[in-house]
Amino acid sequence: MTDEQLIREITADNNAAFKTLMERYQLQVFRTAMGFVHTKEDAEDLTQEIFIRVYQSLHTFQGGSEFSTWIYRITVNMSLNFVRSNIKKRLLQSLEALFTLSSEDKNPLEELESDERDRRIRRAIDSLPEKQRMAFILSRYEELPQKKIATVMNRSEGAVEQLLQRAKENLKKKLSSTVGK
Amino acid sequence: MQIEHLIDELIRQEKETVPNPFLATRVMAQIEGARKRRSKVTIWQTVTLAASIAAVAFLGVSIGNSNVTKETAEVALNINDRQIENLGYYNFGNDEQGQ
Repeated sequence: MTDEQLIREITADNNAAFKTLMERYQLQVFRTAMGFVHTKEDAEDLTQEIFIRVYQSLHTFQGGSEFSTWIYRITVNMSLNFVRSNIKKRLLQSLEALFTLSSEDKNPLEELESDERDRRIRRAIDSLPEKQRMAFILSRYEELPQKKIATVMNRSEGAVEQLLQRAKENLKKKLSSTVGK
Repeated sequence: MQIEHLIDELIRQEKETVPNPFLATRVMAQIEGARKRRSKVTIWQTVTLAASIAAVAFLGVSIGNSNVTKETAEVALNINDRQIENLGYYNFGNDEQGQ
């Protein structure tokens, strides 16, 4: 069944069709959400909120763009809103993660170092300007081609290429002094 | 190069994370719950609206009835003067004399 057929079924009150649609897109939504929030629990909560929003606003989908583009737009916008409204919670989570370390194949010092390094990388990604972060996450977490990213972000391909280039430079600049020495 | 590699490694790890297999079921349950709540609210809204309209109409009629004053006398005389003194008899008499 195509996305359009599923949407028609859903608008005719067939809930099973929505479950099918959700199973088709949940991994891409979850992965994108992971790029923004970095924890499984938050990404699941966010994915849940996104699909409820998709269900509620499905009647507004005109079919002018691909359904996947539409769902990516909702995902990215809701992820940014989620991050903005959960800054304090996420700070606490990252501190908590520092004190709850566990791994079988690394000694405590190595583990501490690797966790600290990951935390710094995440923080560097999170501190990118919103547009750069959007382009970076869609490109690296979802491996979308620049053309698709441009459609999702309503920008030209050239602009997306520039955003990706700047994101890369910014990350290097932010991390060169602390990571990878 | 090293930084690029570390970023790639972190992204690879995060991409390997899979969501709870019951996530779709959880979302469906929430959607279903919201729908039921909404339909319940709609029924209650309809019932409340109908009851309010009926109450307002009843109250209006009651208040209206309580203020009615009887302006007509309980016993009224309806006197038709023509029945008291029927002038027709006199007219009839005059006509007879004239003939």
